[in-house]
Amino acid sequence: MSHRQFIAAAGFFLLSFAVPLVVHSDYTLQILFRVFLFAALGLAWNLVGGYAGQLSLGHAAYFGVGAYGLALLSKVGIPPWLSLFLGVGLAVISAAIIGLVSFRLRGPYFALCTIAFAEVVRLVAKNLPDVTGGDVGTQVPLLFTESSIKSFYISGVLLTALAFVLTAWIERSKFGYYLMAIREDEDTAMSVGVNTSRVKLWSLLISAALTAIGGALYASLFLFIVPDQVMSLDMSVEIAIVPMLGGAGTLFGPVIGSIVLETAAEIFKNIFQEAHLLIYGVLVVMVVIFLPEGIAGTIVNKLRLFKKAPAGSLAAPVPVRPEEEAERTAFRK
Amino acid sequence: MESVVNWFYPLIQAILNGLLTGALYALIGMGMALIFGVMRIVNFTHGAFLMLGMYVSYVFFLKTGINPYLGFMVSGAILFVIGYAVYMGLLRRIPGQVDFMVILVTLGLALIITDGVQLVFGADYHQINLPLVARNFRLGTQIFVNAPWLLSFVIALVLAVALYLVVTHTMFGRAARAIAQNPYPSPLMGINVNRVQAISFGIGAAAAGVAGALLLPVFYLYPGVGSQFELKSFVMVVLGGMGSIQGAAIAGLVLGVVESLTSLYWGNEWALAVDFVIFILVLSLKPSGIFGSQRA
Amino acid sequence: MVLLEAKHVSKRFGGLKAVNDVSFTVSRGEITFIVGPNGAGKTTLFNLITGVVHPDSGSIYFQDQDITKLAPDQAAKLGIGRTFQIVKPLGNLTVLENVMLGAFLRTSKPAQAEEEARGILTFLQMEKFLHLPARGMGLPMLKRLEIARALATQPKLILLDEVVAGLPTVEAIKLAMLLKRLPEWGISAIGGIEHVMQVVMKIADRVIVIDRGVLIAEGKPQEVVDRPEVIEAYLGPKYKEIGL
Repeated sequence: MSHRQFIAAAGFFLLSFAVPLVVHSDYTLQILFRVFLFAALGLAWNLVGGYAGQLSLGHAAYFGVGAYGLALLSKVGIPPWLSLFLGVGLAVISAAIIGLVSFRLRGPYFALCTIAFAEVVRLVAKNLPDVTGGDVGTQVPLLFTESSIKSFYISGVLLTALAFVLTAWIERSKFGYYLMAIREDEDTAMSVGVNTSRVKLWSLLISAALTAIGGALYASLFLFIVPDQVMSLDMSVEIAIVPMLGGAGTLFGPVIGSIVLETAAEIFKNIFQEAHLLIYGVLVVMVVIFLPEGIAGTIVNKLRLFKKAPAGSLAAPVPVRPEEEAERTAFRK
Repeated sequence: MESVVNWFYPLIQAILNGLLTGALYALIGMGMALIFGVMRIVNFTHGAFLMLGMYVSYVFFLKTGINPYLGFMVSGAILFVIGYAVYMGLLRRIPGQVDFMVILVTLGLALIITDGVQLVFGADYHQINLPLVARNFRLGTQIFVNAPWLLSFVIALVLAVALYLVVTHTMFGRAARAIAQNPYPSPLMGINVNRVQAISFGIGAAAAGVAGALLLPVFYLYPGVGSQFELKSFVMVVLGGMGSIQGAAIAGLVLGVVESLTSLYWGNEWALAVDFVIFILVLSLKPSGIFGSQRA
Repeated sequence: MVLLEAKHVSKRFGGLKAVNDVSFTVSRGEITFIVGPNGAGKTTLFNLITGVVHPDSGSIYFQDQDITKLAPDQAAKLGIGRTFQIVKPLGNLTVLENVMLGAFLRTSKPAQAEEEARGILTFLQMEKFLHLPARGMGLPMLKRLEIARALATQPKLILLDEVVAGLPTVEAIKLAMLLKRLPEWGISAIGGIEHVMQVVMKIADRVIVIDRGVLIAEGKPQEVVDRPEVIEAYLGPKYKEIGL
């Protein structure tokens, strides 16, 4: 991270922690919680989808397992925070299984497989009412002694900060380089000794853990969850769209994406009530056509705000064909 | 004799129902397979197209009294135009037709269409009541064939065969298959790639729209009705071998029967789950599909 | 001493036997070239050695270790590096980052990887391009980038597939003279080449000729090039290009 990036980030998070001192409206804090939650979920997804380039549309599975882990384990008497921890563990195990099967597939097949797995998880939750409460749903314990939205908001900021720091560290490490290599060209990566299966799996495990924590927080805020809410394809799509719009494979992308998307959704929910998803859809389509690098990616390119060019973006690498290169560029010396 | 009757007839009934439903699935799957085969587009809008076809038929029925078994042609025509326009206006503009972006756009489009319909028609469930729906034919003493499903089976079958013939015997079909095999040299052979692709997308959308129309008499109509069929389409396309129309058709029949049997022995709610389990199994064990060519 | 040994290796794809009962050895400190017309099987051989595909029959030994069934990343770890005929730069990363990727095989520290990468890029005279994205580079530099990345993995043997193809002759020779120095650093090389024979004649210690999957000649460049079988494999204009 460059100095400028560090100062920007530090300033952002410090200000965010200070918000509850100034903002007292529960409604506003809840919206802000949602913004930070999806920023964190987006950062988590970004590891697999942005840096490693594996388009997962099944992250709701980990979100939901985290949520249900908290709910069901505490039902049998395990204290809430321990339940959360164990729920995260369950999510990681799910990720291992899903990853082992799905990562053998490339391109759209991988995405479809992740969808399938998430759907299986959702349907299992729906169809076992004795265990999960089925369609009717299940209660979730409160994670904090005071049922104040402030605590959730702070947790949201903390989770985002954690995911952010983790991403920043990974970005500069060997692991990060390996992730990006996999995104650019798996065969090339293997030819220089990258164990692509193992690297992909690790990125998914980390991603799933963070996502599960988010799921548990979300569940605890609402105190009641239903499979169609926390394990749906819609949830997976929202988790994925936020970082993709903000700029997949960039550090700030998911945060920016969440701020833009979640506030836009909230505004339109108030104005149009029923049609807020429509605006979502319009935003998505417009950004893909006009801002293929995502919002952060485009800003980086235009303003040169940050030192490095984004390590990755919505636009997949254009394959270099020798004939193209030969005619396109004269000798560079 | 008693014990045989107890399990035999329900089984046959389930298989029969499965085939009837399966033909409709096949139509939907073939549409998706055509789109994926020619353009390698994972079309997340397919379910929304089906839903639109259903609504078109519904409005048409309300306005003219013409039932979906004739009205499906209107759905098909309108959805063809919509599909063509979507491809020409939107999908063609995606630089490099990259997976990421195509998926995002079709997802976004699905959201727009679904929510748009909800805005116009509301989220309420609708249905139409045709006297036809209650009629059943009897085969022997124990087997019933539900009239609307039989009708939709016949129509779907005819259309599926027609689509297959178009793809295998017309210039368009040949062009589409050429592009599917290798898009780069295709323009060199005088193929207007964009137009063929747009037509293919239109046909795919139309197939979904027709299926929606045929579903109208036997299904509740609501904006979200498309998503389950969206997912089933993926299963069919993968099962049948990516891009193989015949494969998707057979996969549709198989899916129908499997769901029916699952409902019989385990209950309705597990049908979709079984779809996905099969999907995952095929993807892990034989990604080129059960009937597929070596093109995984 | 023998670095790489292929014993009776065969590989077929569908009905086509791409590599047919090929056996050869590569010695340490040598530059060997596998020469053959288009479609002869050179790239398949390279893929077999690096583990991208596995032979149907036969075996391959590297430093007396059986590598027949290894995966590509394992081959790289053992010390076999490789460039691709169609260059595969990691487009969104810079030139330096591309090479650092290779260096990371032998170190976990980004600083060290960067140092390694700089050194190699300097050797290949690419200092000016360090921070440019790989995607915008011209072909000659991309070819060097391929080599740099492979060299960063500190291989004992590097496979260079058509490494000068598509380059203007002057560039090709320049690059070849750089590559001639590899054995000084303890790196042996196998090059695959179709027709840029000047390069072969200048830097090869040994030449192996393959035609339609079958090994038809091997030996010192001067010996091999005169043989009738070799000339026949390269009928017509290609023969004139050898220009001897």
